[in-house]
Amino acid sequence: MTWQFLADQFATQFGLWWVIWPGILLGIVVGILPGFSPQNTLIMLLPLTLAVPVEQAFAFMIALYCANHLAGGVPAILVRIPGSGGAAATTLDGYPMARKGQAQQAIVLSFTASVFGGLITTLATIALLPWLSQLGLYLRSVEMVVVMLFGLTLIAVVAAKDALKGLIAGFFGLMIGAIGTDHIYDTPRATFGFLELYDGVPLVAALIGLFAISEALVMIEEKLIVTEDARERAMRSTWADTWEGIVITGRKWWHITWTAFIGLFIGIVPGAGASIAAFVAYQQSRMWSKTPELYGTGIPEGVIAPESANNGVTSGTLVPMMALGVPGGSTAAVMMIVLQYHGMVMGPRLFTTNPELAYGVFVSMAVAYIFMILTILPLARYMARIVLIETTYLVPIIILVTVVAAFVERQYLFDMGLALIFGVIGYIAHKTNYHVTAMLIGIILGPLFEQYLVRSLRLSEGNLMILFSSPLANVLWGLLVLSLVVPLVRGWKRRVSRS
Amino acid sequence: MEKENSSAGADLVIPALALAFVVYFFVSTAELAWEAKANAIVIGTVLVLLTIAQVVRIVLRLASRRANLGVAVLWEPRDVVWKRLGMVAVTAAFIAALPWLGLTLSLWLGMLAALWIMGLRRPRILVVLPLATAGSCYALFIAVLDAGFPRGPLEALLGSLLRFGGA
Repeated sequence: MTWQFLADQFATQFGLWWVIWPGILLGIVVGILPGFSPQNTLIMLLPLTLAVPVEQAFAFMIALYCANHLAGGVPAILVRIPGSGGAAATTLDGYPMARKGQAQQAIVLSFTASVFGGLITTLATIALLPWLSQLGLYLRSVEMVVVMLFGLTLIAVVAAKDALKGLIAGFFGLMIGAIGTDHIYDTPRATFGFLELYDGVPLVAALIGLFAISEALVMIEEKLIVTEDARERAMRSTWADTWEGIVITGRKWWHITWTAFIGLFIGIVPGAGASIAAFVAYQQSRMWSKTPELYGTGIPEGVIAPESANNGVTSGTLVPMMALGVPGGSTAAVMMIVLQYHGMVMGPRLFTTNPELAYGVFVSMAVAYIFMILTILPLARYMARIVLIETTYLVPIIILVTVVAAFVERQYLFDMGLALIFGVIGYIAHKTNYHVTAMLIGIILGPLFEQYLVRSLRLSEGNLMILFSSPLANVLWGLLVLSLVVPLVRGWKRRVSRS
Repeated sequence: MEKENSSAGADLVIPALALAFVVYFFVSTAELAWEAKANAIVIGTVLVLLTIAQVVRIVLRLASRRANLGVAVLWEPRDVVWKRLGMVAVTAAFIAALPWLGLTLSLWLGMLAALWIMGLRRPRILVVLPLATAGSCYALFIAVLDAGFPRGPLEALLGSLLRFGGA
């Protein structure tokens, strides 16, 4: 790979602006609306992507995918409803910022952190692709089980004020995620007799219920999402607030960089995904902060870390697909179908047989991020006005429109009812501080966790000790225990120093 | 941190649901091969242990009179209880009516009822906002995406009008 080759690639991708821009706009809409996932949108658009040349199809899909990750933070900040699981961690500080009347700054921070995080990791991926592609090979089913438990534990400890309640919510979510047919014999389990649950619990219905409906049911208690002071402040917001967000981003460039790399490395692990990456980045950001107690109260670092990481994931997810032929997530799987339809064979040989496509994918991603910041930044000021709408109007719109969106994924009326049930469970969890985020991440990870666990147990003929048989897994177990013990010790020290 | 004299009964609702689900899972999969239930046994066992820890914690709080077994926190503030229940009822009715009335009409009626429950009484907004919401959903989900929503009398009418217009 030469500089001339890279320059040609960038020129080619900039020439595809007419494909990239519609992809970005559609990705933003899809990202903001809970219920619309990028993979479903790409599936619906398959007739289009299969009909055009592969370079154009890929530029469009990449733009849509990256913009979707970026836009998921908008509803997370404004109404505490993440557009996707990857934006769940953004609610922790983004929503408190909005409540303080700093919605515009929070949205700008989310956009800039997403774009710069995504851009940095994409450029790093282009430079380090041959080495990064080996990383996923070190993680086998045993390590993956521990990675998932580690991720879930971090989420429980970070998101919930009460670690025990967070863990109960997380494991309850994992248990719900086990509903459906098993992976070996296809026997239905715990489906309550509903055929609609044979494929497992639909994630969109769970997301809409646990976040959108439950949040709307809590929102009823207040006239506005924001306080009166914050409302006054938001009413007076100007372009200077957008500039303030950009300045904070500039000051926190190092924070964006290292949290984006967390996203990149976690993205390479097949199945781990943006939701775990965002929480790990948030937890690491809090751990290394001089003011960890401010996290959760609405501080810029709490928005930057998860947003930067969940966009760092975008390039990471594509690494195993391009280098090994193993899609890192469901969106990557749809992209792979399109590439295979066009006769591309994924794997190490792609870099020698078709380097234009192999590297072009990541160059296309870098170009999409550049277009994205120019497109979306001016919109932040207008998006932030949503917090000024009274809950009298907001609650009916959120509940009924998101229930409609629950239908779209599988087209079952059953999913709408399920979303309502999850809404009631989520409301109880909200009121009693069992964090719904931990529950949702448990549901998302459930099927994958079972797949890796059963694979490990089959190798060991049912002996659970296999989970402690590899050095890497044991290191991860150690980190898991530390993530549980360190907050306890810190809390104890704080109480001692206070008394 | 827990408040003094807090409603610990409400804190037991999620663990009780979790426990009931674990029991249902174990009972309904008792006859299956070990591969089909290994995951649930591992997760379920941890969940049961966590639930026991939570119950012990609550019992200790009850014993030291720092909590009671009430569930008041779920209903507070009392003045919005009927709004909250009303929203759940309207959503359930909307889902139930969807197969007969179709998306557009049921959503219009649902929005109208929901806004009324939320205390809105201005006639113009009560008509326009539901109309705009239902119209947008019709345009996006039926006209553009052609999602498989149940079609009702309004969709049939609009469909035939559009066909007539097209012809």
